[in-house]
Amino acid sequence: MRNFVEISLGIIIAFFLYTIIGKVSFSLSQLLNFFTLAVIYFAIAKGEIYGALIGTVCGLIQDSFSLGVFGVSGLAKTLIGFLAGFIAQKINILPLIRNFMFIFVMISGEISFSIFLYYFISAEYVREITPLILFQPLATAFLGGVVFFLLRKFKVLGF
Amino acid sequence: MRLFLKEKKKAIILFALIFFHLLLISLQVPLGDKENYFEKAIFSIFSPVQHGLVYFFKKVGDIWNSYFYLWEVQKMNIKLKEEMFILRQENNQLRRVLQRLKAETNVQEFITNLHNSFLITRVIGIDARNIYKSIIVDKGSLDGLKKNMVVLDKKGNLIGRTVDPISLKEARVQLITDIDSGVSVVSQESRAGGVLTGDGKGDCILKYIYPTQKVNKGEGLITSGLDHIFPPGIKVGKVVSITTDPSLFKKIKVKTSFEFSDLDTVVVISGESREILLENE
Repeated sequence: MRNFVEISLGIIIAFFLYTIIGKVSFSLSQLLNFFTLAVIYFAIAKGEIYGALIGTVCGLIQDSFSLGVFGVSGLAKTLIGFLAGFIAQKINILPLIRNFMFIFVMISGEISFSIFLYYFISAEYVREITPLILFQPLATAFLGGVVFFLLRKFKVLGF
Repeated sequence: MRLFLKEKKKAIILFALIFFHLLLISLQVPLGDKENYFEKAIFSIFSPVQHGLVYFFKKVGDIWNSYFYLWEVQKMNIKLKEEMFILRQENNQLRRVLQRLKAETNVQEFITNLHNSFLITRVIGIDARNIYKSIIVDKGSLDGLKKNMVVLDKKGNLIGRTVDPISLKEARVQLITDIDSGVSVVSQESRAGGVLTGDGKGDCILKYIYPTQKVNKGEGLITSGLDHIFPPGIKVGKVVSITTDPSLFKKIKVKTSFEFSDLDTVVVISGESREILLENE
């Protein structure tokens, strides 16, 4: 039950931030991927199965707010969630720099996989890639690294 | 068997999820533009949340502003702005259509219908994948929105059309900058007709113009009405570059008339006036 509440809250916060950032700046909404951050956070904290399931939910929410093939983000985030959870159990990715690198690689992987899938469905979609999207791994990893670090600190302090 | 399932539980769940997504994608691809009920269900669940969040923050902002300013004056200002918004739209359409209408009775009927058919909507969300593909607006089927209704900006420039999914109080608008959009347009000076499609990066491409057809740089483009979706005469954009390549047609880049930074409030042409606008071509 606690897991369910935590995860639901995490997804709602990601959705909340996605909505707010879209109203604040169009460009920022392309640079920061809050849904993937939520997926990676819970994958690290709760393991690969949770990562995959949360990836499915977040991906499908993102797909429903986007014109395009429904399910592509869902599939990409499911795989990233599973992979993130799996790797996090094998390697210690908690130090700040390693965490940053980990998020960067995961988001780059997600974008590459999505592009590959879209190319597979229709090469036309690849034309839509904006230069800002290519900076998304860097910007999101930076934000994610800092946020995850602060969350861990808060947990240690007993919040 | 049970031991095998227990050992391979993680892999089984992962493959089940992958299978589910692949099924979803493969079911949807042949559907094309048609409605996907699963997508509509998720959109219907989450779009009210998005609507609520935007509404909440707007309300908080409004309270804050009203506290510091004379709120009666502000209310009047908002009302006047909305009125001006509608009048500007009306004016644009009237100028064009009045010339075409023949009988006086038609004019009166047309004006009445036109006034009731502008629906001011607020943009509550943008496309999660590409900001130049679509937007979400805060009016839905309960407000009379249907698929393929025309959406304009404050100045009457074409933004796009409503597409599925449309929930009770929210709807998606496909922008003309989306690569999958298509608008039948005609150039204002040389009257060359073609199809305008988005480049997915904020601009548009004018397709199917033969090298022999004359189109000038800087020339304005308006809708032709031939697609039976967009009424004729709506400002769409301006030609910014013309190049030739080995293909059969010219490569023409078009800058849209609407500005992305201006997309906070848009207007949907609903009801009968759209049909009248189309019929009067």
